Amino acid sequence: LPADIISTVEFNHTGELLATGDKGGRVVIFQREQESKHQSHRRGEYNVYSTFQSHEPEFDYLKSLEIEEKINKIRWLPQQNAAYFLLSTNDKTVKLWKVSERDKRPEGYNLKDEDGRLRDPSMITMLRVPVLRPMDLMVEATPRRVFANAHTYHINSISVNSDYETYMSADDLRINLWNFEITNQSFNIVDIKPANMEELTEVITAAEFHPHHCNTFVYSSSKGTIRLCDMRTAALCDRHAKFFEEPEDPSNRSFFSEIISSISDVKFSHSGRYIMTRDYLTVKVWDLNMENRPIETYQVHDYLRSKLCSLYENDCIFDKFECVWNGSDSVIMSGSYNNFFRMFDRNTKRDVTLEASRENSKPRAVLKPRKVCVGGKRRKDEISVDSLDFSKKILHTAWHPSENIIAVAATNNLYIFQDKVN
Amino acid sequence: MEFKLEAHRIVSISLGKIYSARGQRGGLKLHKNLLVSLVLRTARQVYLSEPGFPPEPPPTACGPPGEESPPPPPPCAATTSTWAAGELLPPPPPPQDEAVRGGPRLPGANCEGPRPRRCCCGCSCHCAAAAGEANRATTVVVGAAASPMSHCARKRSAGERGQAGSPVKKPRREVEEGPPPGDQEDMETGNVASLISIFGSSFSGLLSKEPKGRRRAPFGRGEAAGTGTGPPTETASESGQICYDEPVLRTLNPWSTAIVAF
Repeated sequence: LPADIISTVEFNHTGELLATGDKGGRVVIFQREQESKHQSHRRGEYNVYSTFQSHEPEFDYLKSLEIEEKINKIRWLPQQNAAYFLLSTNDKTVKLWKVSERDKRPEGYNLKDEDGRLRDPSMITMLRVPVLRPMDLMVEATPRRVFANAHTYHINSISVNSDYETYMSADDLRINLWNFEITNQSFNIVDIKPANMEELTEVITAAEFHPHHCNTFVYSSSKGTIRLCDMRTAALCDRHAKFFEEPEDPSNRSFFSEIISSISDVKFSHSGRYIMTRDYLTVKVWDLNMENRPIETYQVHDYLRSKLCSLYENDCIFDKFECVWNGSDSVIMSGSYNNFFRMFDRNTKRDVTLEASRENSKPRAVLKPRKVCVGGKRRKDEISVDSLDFSKKILHTAWHPSENIIAVAATNNLYIFQDKVN
Repeated sequence: MEFKLEAHRIVSISLGKIYSARGQRGGLKLHKNLLVSLVLRTARQVYLSEPGFPPEPPPTACGPPGEESPPPPPPCAATTSTWAAGELLPPPPPPQDEAVRGGPRLPGANCEGPRPRRCCCGCSCHCAAAAGEANRATTVVVGAAASPMSHCARKRSAGERGQAGSPVKKPRREVEEGPPPGDQEDMETGNVASLISIFGSSFSGLLSKEPKGRRRAPFGRGEAAGTGTGPPTETASESGQICYDEPVLRTLNPWSTAIVAF
């Protein structure tokens, strides 16, 4: 079912919860089992904790446009009390959801009976105090805030600020800053819309706040550039504090050079010292102190470089892959086709290709590294480029904040892999 | 010639994508369509700069697909041929230039004939564009046959763009002398913009936000015309299927006929 296609995956700050959003506007939250004392050698598994409909399809009558209910991004807020809070967004509207548990219910009302029916007041002869009695655990999700009508173009990113009071939402041409408590206004902090739309040459593709400095954020563009902005310098951050761009390699010029240099995701490292960007063929790591080129470049699937025309025809060249850091910023991961995903160890410079598929993943089985054969003789376990299934793409992955647990979304299936315990 | 065919194919595919973007759910995807328009512009530049490109202006016929004979009233012809081969023609009269820039009027707004056809469906602009292109393609075919194969051979080696540039620049320079430099850039992407504005409804969400309710296309002017995109280094070795939308295919018949003849 197309509505079941997972469109975003995100662990919360402790890794206890994992949220997924899908094309049908639903959010499914998984919770990690508490490790039991009896089975301490087994890691906790993730089970469904809550499911709710976050967004519904809408119709903008003024513009005759349908607004898709697909969840583009989910971002968790840090936990401040017993309830969990997350932001979820579709193309136009951001919502703040509260997810809380209820394990007690009041019993013994005076004015209504146990079924909820109102009692006849004249029949009441005595008063009693209602008591709370345990009940089966119920997890309920309630929309606490709806941040709407602030985006003309399609929202591609949301990012919670480290002050936990504000967050930003970015669309193709603008970035807005919100306060969680205020839904009827937002501040526009970036606006790259040209006065004459015919002069448009680039759009914003992703944006993120710095993990520690609440005044700093970055946004990436379709031209392969990243701008770092400081909100203290001006109300409207149209002038960047830093501009990251790598000069183009002229030998790689093709009809599609511009498309493949468009950045599809940008992520700060946990340390806040680096940013990672994903374009169609590579993942790049940039040092915030060096703007003229990345410090590391990793080839995700360079064998596709000679296939760009076909990938343009079948629209795969427009796929937007995300990228993630592990908790210690030593390993980075991003997806590819044929349900392959790639991990790069920044220290050892080793990389591995793994596959998320039912046939290859029995519970507790160890994932076997995969290899794509580029040319010449194909070895037994290798797969040739022409046999790759381009309909099986891994666009969304997530890494547990402190442990080696990863979540990989393969179309409408979610795979959770854990590091093998010694 | 290989690059020319490749460029042609890419232009067709790109037009198909823009056309099919009209009906998609969720409204126009600005990012994707911007990228498609960039590819379209690059492919068009390559197509126009390929050797064998004739220095003489093409015939100004503009008509429905399949019929290439009846020349329409001159203003319309100038405008549609402008889309087809902007650099070829002498500068169009200012009103058309204005229209081509994606201003309030659609290109060819002055001419009565094709106007009704443009209004009814998106493929009518293909008719006009394709017909215009067909004429150019026809002349190109003739030109290519005449040019020595050495041009093609030299063009193919990507690394030698510098040297390959010289024989190519000759026809190009003549072409560029026509319209003033600024105008060329306008026409180049303004044409794409006009093409987009003709498709209309999918863009209404963005266009309605424009000041004074003027309909403008979301893309347009790219980098300076002089970025000099070289020939693509990839070869046309893919055996991928070309998937055309039916209406696009029908209107592109003049193109395929021209190529088959060659």
